[in-house]
Amino acid sequence: MSFALLAPLGLAALAALFVPIVIHLVRRLELRTTEFAALRWISERIRPRRRLRFERPWLLLLRLALLALVALLLARPVLTEPPGQQASRVLVAPGSDLAAARTAASTGNADWRWLAPGFPAIETPAPTTNVPLASLLREADAALPANATLAVIVPAEVAGLDGERPVLAHAVDWHVVPGRMASNGTAPPSGKVAIAVRYAPSAEASVKYLDAAIAALNASGARTYTLDAEPQNVPIPAAAQALVWLGAEPTPAVTAWIEAGGTAIVDRQPHASGAPAWRDADGNVIARVAPGGRGRLVALAFQFSPNELPALLDADFPAHLRDLIEGEAPPPTRAPAEAMQPHTGATSGAIVAPPASTKPIDPWLALAIALLVLIERVVATRTREPA
Amino acid sequence: MAAVALIPADVRARLKHLRLRARHGAGGDGLGQHASRSRGAGLEFAQYRAYEPGDEPRRIDWKLFARSDRYFVRESERDSPLTLWLVIDASASMAQADGAKPHWRKLHAAKTIAACAIELALRQGDRFGLIALAAGGPTLIAADAGSRHRDRCLLELEKIECAGAWPAEPALRPLWERVLPSSLVLVLSDFFDDAAADLALRFAAARREVLTIQMLSADERDFPFDGGHRFVDPESGAERRVEAAAIRSDFLDRFKTARANLSRRFAASGIRHAEYFLDTAPDLPLQHFFGAVGARVRA
Repeated sequence: MSFALLAPLGLAALAALFVPIVIHLVRRLELRTTEFAALRWISERIRPRRRLRFERPWLLLLRLALLALVALLLARPVLTEPPGQQASRVLVAPGSDLAAARTAASTGNADWRWLAPGFPAIETPAPTTNVPLASLLREADAALPANATLAVIVPAEVAGLDGERPVLAHAVDWHVVPGRMASNGTAPPSGKVAIAVRYAPSAEASVKYLDAAIAALNASGARTYTLDAEPQNVPIPAAAQALVWLGAEPTPAVTAWIEAGGTAIVDRQPHASGAPAWRDADGNVIARVAPGGRGRLVALAFQFSPNELPALLDADFPAHLRDLIEGEAPPPTRAPAEAMQPHTGATSGAIVAPPASTKPIDPWLALAIALLVLIERVVATRTREPA
Repeated sequence: MAAVALIPADVRARLKHLRLRARHGAGGDGLGQHASRSRGAGLEFAQYRAYEPGDEPRRIDWKLFARSDRYFVRESERDSPLTLWLVIDASASMAQADGAKPHWRKLHAAKTIAACAIELALRQGDRFGLIALAAGGPTLIAADAGSRHRDRCLLELEKIECAGAWPAEPALRPLWERVLPSSLVLVLSDFFDDAAADLALRFAAARREVLTIQMLSADERDFPFDGGHRFVDPESGAERRVEAAAIRSDFLDRFKTARANLSRRFAASGIRHAEYFLDTAPDLPLQHFFGAVGARVRA
């Protein structure tokens, strides 16, 4: 345990100590007045000496101690753990082979923990929840004392990354062991997507462009898209994941379907609101997407026909259609662990590693101050017994 | 009753051994316990003197007339009452008290001593009068005897308050008309003002028998002060700022010398003098004056 001040400038408040000293000094200079009839025989040769004496020294000491404690409180004192023993921590990412990890990081007396929210001990079962690996790495780095060593054991393929390689304050012992981290929820898209098309009689000609786009998607992507094109009086099947509503305003049934969680594409909506989801080469907004209930409504500004929407004929239309139906693809979160070794040397401005486990003693100090205030009041207001 | 408050019970108990006694014979009329210089009808033979016109015929010693063929009048010594005058200094300096006992002022002690003296005089049938000297002039109660007069004097004693300085000379003139020669005058004062001592000396020079009691506080005797002090004179308002501990021995020397001088002056004028300190019993000066004499008389 050692003692440190987080704001040493607060000690400048010690300058206030001179106030009670001055008060007690000034009062000392007053003379006691005594009525004395035999004044004639008192010689005035010896003047009263002006001694540097303090009146009621105990009260003065109390007041000085009180002020000193307040100044100390302003300086924010903390107790810090002794830096003698080097903390050494090993973080194991879920999915790593533990046996391989033990051999990889054979530090003797390290603190082994899962690299998971809350940093559970290694003895507990491996966490299976989503692990934001990069964020956790930064958190662990920030919580470690400056002189601690940090070893991280990761499987060959890591997930839960974000935009950049982590930049940490500590040098990281980065061990890659066989294994694979579980994916973070958004699995790579696969399976079938059923798309229902409901067209007004005037828009029947547009369906073939959809057909062509779906065929192109089925040929290239991992997912299989099926198209169910019917006139608008046919009800929407429950299995449909997307709906293309052509040539007419959406009916209440369509709105209800969207709010139940579906994604619908509606054409001829030039005044629709929502975020731009598709722009042409000139930057004009072709489609806007707006949330509706639990689903999404994609509003095309134009009629779904090559006359008004030449982009239908472009080669990238199927990809745009897929984006409109499925939303933007999430940023990549997986990477080979070898490539994600963190950089060392986060500037202190970016990440401040606080001194090893500091314990503020403010509450105790405040308690002591309150106690001193009480004692001071009692001492100061106590009537002095007649001498 | 007021007398109860003035005279503590133990003091009253000690009073019964005391007797007022004048050094000279008293000259008043009436029957009393004191030897007098008056001659007249009485028990104890004094002398014969020649008849003068106006003498009562029954006082002529007819047997002596038969032997000598002259008229002689038989005279005897007459015991006559004493007149006791209590002169109390009520100037502001008499408000002085000890720091340890701030309510027991010199004036209170003087009142108690006066009340004791009044009790003594009453017991012996003597006449007593009261004079309080304050700035406004003397408060005067004519001499008389009797318990009603005692009560009147005690009531007046209760009313006396300290104020101002010693009165000026013209204000004291009525005293000379009231305080007749041969009366006993008991002056209770601190005698810090020379005028008080002068009054006592002039009374003594004018054939009044004067007893003086100097009222002193224990603080004046011991000077127990410490540290810086501002001493203020209650009468003049003058002040001295001194370091009390440093001047203690000097003050005690000078004060003792002053007291000795006063005592010597009084003794030279035939004044019996006593000092009373506030932390002692109030009947001590009366014991000093009357106790030993009374004991001798009883023995």
